[in-house]
Amino acid sequence: MNAFLASPAQVGGWLHVLARTTALLWPQPKGSRNFSFLPLAQGAPVSLDRYRPTVVPPSRHLLPADETLFTYRCEPTGEVRYQPPEAPPRQILAGVRPCDLKGIAQLDAVMADAPADPLYGARRAATAIIGVDCLAPCDSRCFCAATGSLAFRGGADLFLTPLADGVLVEVTSDRGAELLAGAGFAPCGNAAALREQAEADRPVPFGRALAASPAELPAVLRAGYRSPVYGRHGERCFSCGTCNLVCPTCYCFEVRDDLALDGAGGRRSRTWDACMIPAFAEVAGGHNFRPQVGERQRHRLKRKFEYLPDRFGTGPFCVGCGRCGRQCAADIDILVMINEIVAEQGGAA
Amino acid sequence: MKPKVAFFDFASCEGCQLALLNCEDELLDILACVELVEFREAISERAVRYDIAFVEGSIHREQDLERLRDIRSRSKVLVALGACACNGNVQARSNFVAPAENYKSVYGEEERNRVQTDPDYWPLWSHTRVRAVHEVVEVDFFLRGCPMVPAEFLHLVKSLLTGRTPYFPANAVCVECKKNDNECVYDRGLACFGPIAYGGCDAVCINGGHVCDACRGLLPYANVEAHRRMLVARGVDPDGVRNRYRLHLSNDPLAQEARR
Repeated sequence: MNAFLASPAQVGGWLHVLARTTALLWPQPKGSRNFSFLPLAQGAPVSLDRYRPTVVPPSRHLLPADETLFTYRCEPTGEVRYQPPEAPPRQILAGVRPCDLKGIAQLDAVMADAPADPLYGARRAATAIIGVDCLAPCDSRCFCAATGSLAFRGGADLFLTPLADGVLVEVTSDRGAELLAGAGFAPCGNAAALREQAEADRPVPFGRALAASPAELPAVLRAGYRSPVYGRHGERCFSCGTCNLVCPTCYCFEVRDDLALDGAGGRRSRTWDACMIPAFAEVAGGHNFRPQVGERQRHRLKRKFEYLPDRFGTGPFCVGCGRCGRQCAADIDILVMINEIVAEQGGAA
Repeated sequence: MKPKVAFFDFASCEGCQLALLNCEDELLDILACVELVEFREAISERAVRYDIAFVEGSIHREQDLERLRDIRSRSKVLVALGACACNGNVQARSNFVAPAENYKSVYGEEERNRVQTDPDYWPLWSHTRVRAVHEVVEVDFFLRGCPMVPAEFLHLVKSLLTGRTPYFPANAVCVECKKNDNECVYDRGLACFGPIAYGGCDAVCINGGHVCDACRGLLPYANVEAHRRMLVARGVDPDGVRNRYRLHLSNDPLAQEARR
């Protein structure tokens, strides 16, 4: 596909033009040291510099925290009328890095699996994605190279690579080409070479390392089912669910009904849920099949590195963004736990 | 017949009843569905039985115990309304000092001696210990928070009116911070009770730039020991930790060690 060269200022100007007609979310500072995908306000600076991964990943903009599934009304005749939610608005997720692209791709795989999730599908179809390459680890929590996410490009409609003297803009879909129409960037004939050159300057190793490859981890985790690592880290865990809620590939939700006062109608919606919260595994009758925090930690790790990779065959469901450890008040880090389990099992298989 | 609803207040600022009035949009619809039989600030009518009794405030005196037990005996459903009723709130902090000492520091020694010995004063001042409502009578539902959350009040009333079980997830405040995409309070270098406190408030204090002090009480699975150790490790001095634990949690059994 086509590629172009532009200055950072040109890219910023073009994004602002897009933001006039479509909700465009760009990673912007939030609070004292964090970032958030926020609507690009008129005149806001557009920086292509590396940023501390946002508190909540961009994939959460495809799974709103409070999403209407349908509204309903029971007519006096006894007939029940259902009203689907309004079609989701078009949005552009821009400034998405490879780890978060991978996260979105994994969600795409899960949500397209039968029975497909129509609300996710509609929102995803209405979402254009502009990726940005990562040339240096975002911070000391990063391990995207170890999970194979650093080179991931899937799902992006356009892909930006910051160069020493400009920005390489690669078109990776028809929708991407449409977004670029009228931008007036200079065509580029040697895009692959330029990107490879920029990426060749990356530090090695890039971020932290896993003690076993993602392909080896399912077997390691099966062998270490009774590992004391889970309980040991669980001792300082609050079961608050933050690690789940900031994970790019976590998608669990719970459903609730809000009834109208007359009881004849209402709204059914879903909201984020998290398997680290004790009530998550509570079933009818009050039985809880994961009452211990260590069991919940084990479930979380096995979902990322064993269960879902086995189920979908699309690689680890941990993308190595480091958010779960970064946002954990108790400093419980998934990579540290995994590496401890690998060591306990006598290293890689 | 419309369900009879009553409001009672004990030791509190009555701010929860004010918060109730903030449910402006839906309050009139609700009032059309219920019969409000007792509401000190608005009406003086009394009823023999209540379908839903909302009790605001903490319980301090002998005569409060009697009054509360009487309300309970006449109520089908009893709801503890707000932090004072649910956990004793800030006034439970006085439980760390003998009542006689408290009277003395507030009213002076002479008055203290009178209220402690004069039969005419005794019923009014027979302060024993600040208690939450559930420490005296059985409570069916808790509307936590200082003040209570109007959306939770509406959810409870609608659920009861339509014969459904209200649902208040036992989630930490952290869940709502993530839903609001908030920067973690700990990333701001401040100490927060969000990881061990009942959410349901939409993390309103943190959304507004403050921290969480667990006014809604500790989660049943609160890892208090880890939290206390974390605060100390992050540089909060032991006195500071104890003070924070004594703000809203003076009466919370889970905080017993941390506030000592």
